[in-house]
Amino acid sequence: MPSASLVFQSVVLGVLLGGLYALLAAGLTLYFGVMRVVMIAHSAFLILAAYLAWYAHRETGIDPLLTLFVTVPLFFAAGVAMQRLLLTRLRPATLTMMSVLLTFSVALVIEGLLGYVFSGTQRRIRLGYSSSSIEFFGARVAVVKLIAFGMAALALLGLYVLMKHSRFGQALRATIQHREAAQLLGIDTDRIAGYGFGLGLATAAVGGTALSLDTTIYPSLHWHWIGPLMAIIVVGGLGSVPGAAIAAMTLGMLQSLLQLELSTTWAQTVFYVALFVTLAVRPQGFFGGRLAQRF
Amino acid sequence: MSDADFPSELRSEFLLELDDIRAGYGRAALVLRGLTVRVPAGAIVCLVGPNGAGKSTVLKVASGLLTPRSGRILVDGEDVTGRGPQRMLAAGVAHVLQGHSVFREMTVAENVLLGGYTLRDKAVVAERVAFVRDLFPVVAERWTDLAGLLSGGQQKQVEFARSLMVSPRVVLLDEPSMGLDPKATGVVFEQIVRMRDAGTAVLLVEQNARRALEAADTGCVLDLGRVHVAGPAHELLADPQLGELYLGGRPVRR
Repeated sequence: MPSASLVFQSVVLGVLLGGLYALLAAGLTLYFGVMRVVMIAHSAFLILAAYLAWYAHRETGIDPLLTLFVTVPLFFAAGVAMQRLLLTRLRPATLTMMSVLLTFSVALVIEGLLGYVFSGTQRRIRLGYSSSSIEFFGARVAVVKLIAFGMAALALLGLYVLMKHSRFGQALRATIQHREAAQLLGIDTDRIAGYGFGLGLATAAVGGTALSLDTTIYPSLHWHWIGPLMAIIVVGGLGSVPGAAIAAMTLGMLQSLLQLELSTTWAQTVFYVALFVTLAVRPQGFFGGRLAQRF
Repeated sequence: MSDADFPSELRSEFLLELDDIRAGYGRAALVLRGLTVRVPAGAIVCLVGPNGAGKSTVLKVASGLLTPRSGRILVDGEDVTGRGPQRMLAAGVAHVLQGHSVFREMTVAENVLLGGYTLRDKAVVAERVAFVRDLFPVVAERWTDLAGLLSGGQQKQVEFARSLMVSPRVVLLDEPSMGLDPKATGVVFEQIVRMRDAGTAVLLVEQNARRALEAADTGCVLDLGRVHVAGPAHELLADPQLGELYLGGRPVRR
């Protein structure tokens, strides 16, 4: 039986990890919400952003966090382009199914290009503050993990404020909830959907930079992320951002706790167990998720 | 009776005119085959007819969701054929869809304010909000509630309020009584009459033909994509043959 302090340490680490999961799952939820797109390439963009942060740091020595000023707008634009140029070409009747294939291939392309340009070598950013940590009620927490969590939390908060209080956010939520009705109110739903997709990809830029701070990266790493993320949005209820956040926190914490008793690989199965249980017991998801019932 | 029986001296007063419209979906056969409907200012015009007659399609053409293959659409005499929903809305045509079309996970307030999405002037928005809250008391009462939590009839009224934010000249209502119990249906029809009395013309599509014609000024009976009969609603209601064919059984004997 692990000691109480070790359990507490795991809970803290789980919360920190859950924050990153929550941000990334929010992105996935946006794609599905605005376009019924299952975005397999989300985590590939995550790793791409991490590589860009690592590369910029290696070449120029700048803090990886500064790459956000480039990667966030870049990913937003890439998201808009991807939606307008690729996804709108899919036939509406089979969009969701075909989007899996299309974004799967995008993920393979990104992985291949990363391997080609940067080789398959494992990479890690070494920063002045990489090894520093602080005491938090007896738990030792790496500063970089705190920074990563802070970025994820800020980005999520920003997303929330944008969705809830901006004119664009109102139009985006209306488009998600009833596209034809939104159109009839004068909302340019195609343009809004493009921006929504860009916003989703921007979360991958933030997440990837946060990830690069304390994780060893390699081109195929994205496969370790997409499974848990997909599980999170199903458990949370497809299309529900708060649902995704709650599921991300819960499962992130469980994963972290299970690592005490089980190996890292086995701990990750908690996502798939949760996925199966959800599909068997409550297929529309546990938190919110009316959208899933409709589609 | 036929389309030609619309009194010609009133022609300039038609707010919305669909003239000899042919329309359909994709490569499938035409749904509307030379349909003509005219909506005068300050009137409720009701389209009735069997399933598949093309009633909803008429509204989709009028709001720009569906571009007709041929024919003309006039709003207040101006040719607006081929415009999309945004520009139709700007011309003064608002469309309330069939079934539930509130944004369920947003509050009543957010729904209504989105109705004014295209309005830039905050003073106008405030004035319209006051107007619709006054016209639909339930909207004012449930202002901060999630729209999805309202009853079917209340949601319909939120949709009406949302559509009136831009001060449309014509409102298109697609089966507003669908799925409502008789009491809620009564309230919704009362509200439709109030909308007309407040100065908005209404083009109404209904399964519940008898109830709709009682509220309407003019009725049009659609069949096979054309207007079969058009005339004052009370005359249609009194016509025994129409009652038999289209209004679900015999008319009330007097």
